[in-house]
Amino acid sequence: MHAVIIGLSAAGLSCLDTLLKFSPQVNVTAISEEKYSPYCRCVLTHYLGKVVREDQMYIADIAKYPENVKFIFGEKVETIDVNRKALTLSGGKEILYDKVLVATGANAIKPNYCDEEKKIFTLRFMSDAKKLEQHIKDRATVLGGGFVGIKAAYGLLERNIKVEMIVSSPYPLSLVLDEKTARFIEKEIRECGIDVRTQEDIAEINMKQDRVVVSLTSGAELLSDVVVVGKGVKPRVEIARKAGIKVDLGIMTNEFLETSAEDVYAAGDCCETMDIARRVPWINALWPVAVEQGYFAALNMLGEDVAYPGSIGMNSLKTHSFHLISGGVMKEESGVTIFERHFPQKKQFRKLALKDNIIVGMAFFNCPDDAGTYINLIKKGMPLNADPQNIVDGEVSIADLFKPL
Amino acid sequence: MKVVVVKPERCVGCLQCRFACAVAHSKSGSPYAAPYETVLSKPRIHIGLSKNKDPFPNKCRHCDPAPCEMACLTKAIFKEPSTGTVLINPDRCINCGMCSMACPFGVVRYHFYPNNRMAAHKCDQCIARQKEGIAPACVEVCKVGALRFEDYNKVMDRDTDELSTLVYKGIRTGAQEKSSYQSLTEYKHGLEELRRRQS
Repeated sequence: MHAVIIGLSAAGLSCLDTLLKFSPQVNVTAISEEKYSPYCRCVLTHYLGKVVREDQMYIADIAKYPENVKFIFGEKVETIDVNRKALTLSGGKEILYDKVLVATGANAIKPNYCDEEKKIFTLRFMSDAKKLEQHIKDRATVLGGGFVGIKAAYGLLERNIKVEMIVSSPYPLSLVLDEKTARFIEKEIRECGIDVRTQEDIAEINMKQDRVVVSLTSGAELLSDVVVVGKGVKPRVEIARKAGIKVDLGIMTNEFLETSAEDVYAAGDCCETMDIARRVPWINALWPVAVEQGYFAALNMLGEDVAYPGSIGMNSLKTHSFHLISGGVMKEESGVTIFERHFPQKKQFRKLALKDNIIVGMAFFNCPDDAGTYINLIKKGMPLNADPQNIVDGEVSIADLFKPL
Repeated sequence: MKVVVVKPERCVGCLQCRFACAVAHSKSGSPYAAPYETVLSKPRIHIGLSKNKDPFPNKCRHCDPAPCEMACLTKAIFKEPSTGTVLINPDRCINCGMCSMACPFGVVRYHFYPNNRMAAHKCDQCIARQKEGIAPACVEVCKVGALRFEDYNKVMDRDTDELSTLVYKGIRTGAQEKSSYQSLTEYKHGLEELRRRQS
């Protein structure tokens, strides 16, 4: 069997490793657009903060792979011919495949004011981080209050840079957290030394000598060396769309991660799978989710027919002073009950959102010990055995959650 | 493959495994010197109390595929192929907190290592002791047989045999009718007592 993997990041690499683990003789061709060997893009914010050396970012040693794996770097896939089972590269070469994985990932959303000459950058690729590094002196502005925005701001803060964060929604992390929790996090971020401005947006960005002047809708003006934009990602689906594969917001997949075309699989940030907490097809553009999807896609490519259970949005935000783990959706809707308990002395809180006795969302602050258990209960969609109030009080151990068969 | 098998129904919550674990992973390796080291060695096994105050020893299961290994951004968590142990390389770890989010059993913590860097911290199944041919420290010190170092296929076979015998005797159906057991431990206590009465 000849398997082709398009894109060599989280999903692609995990798929490659899994293919080799379960069937070492399989012929694989991995095509990557970038010239660097595979690296982890989530660590770019840590790289900005000089917490990570460059060699720590590379996650795979290309030289160690066996001979039946071929790598093609720096070339793009132009078209996929689904009927002939062939794909053409930008160099004009044609490759025949038996199974193909589309793991093209996503691009950072670039608003129309984005301009590299004005020192406005997104943070998605290694080249972005290197360019950013050249321009930083002592002041930076971060746009967007998502996890990437906060992590980038915190990374810059580690370099002793004054950071201003501009959030267009009323509070940061508005997509995943409810207002009360988000306000608490906002306070914590402020205490770290990041200046957060909420309900503000960009009116104009100008250059003044070699500094950037950011004018806000409220009339305030901010001076900074660079502007980092963290406004989310957009799946790259052009190749799939050209090939006639069904595309919604991302590439649509069934429970075996197969697309509408036969023998074409999709995984990672570009594919749309079932979100367990929301119960609708959704894109969760996250590293751990992409690795998991790559694993399941590889099993299905080998003909094992293993259903992918679905993903949830989850993230972990760790700084020197706090550790927030959130998963699922924490929104006050009809039918959702929220249980919470705050321990001010320990600087902890636990929060759970339940719908019909099934956990749909959680946010744990400074208690990483048992957070993973509840994330997995959301993933399994399992009805809760224990009293949720006891859980948020921190009185329940793992023995109570898993009852006799 | 030999693993540490946990029998929660036997645990009395004496916490000796925790002390032995911390000592075994300390720099000096001696119970007298370990508490005075500059970077304190922390235990990698946790005893949680359930609602009925039953102790429950909780440690890394070394899953395959391991969710923490999948979630790790820098490949600091890896699987040692010969023993199947999931290990952490503290030099590559960037302390991002993803592994504790991914772990379904809640066994990953964050502590300082001897090189004074904070990194993810969990059971390594005493891989250094295993190479010398000694059982892990927690197993060696457990007095009640709650922790055992055994081949998991054998353990599974034995436990299945035991359970099937009980089912054959009709005990399990009886236990199901009642269904008054609050926890796994209590259920196992019930089974043990029924077996004692039978024999």
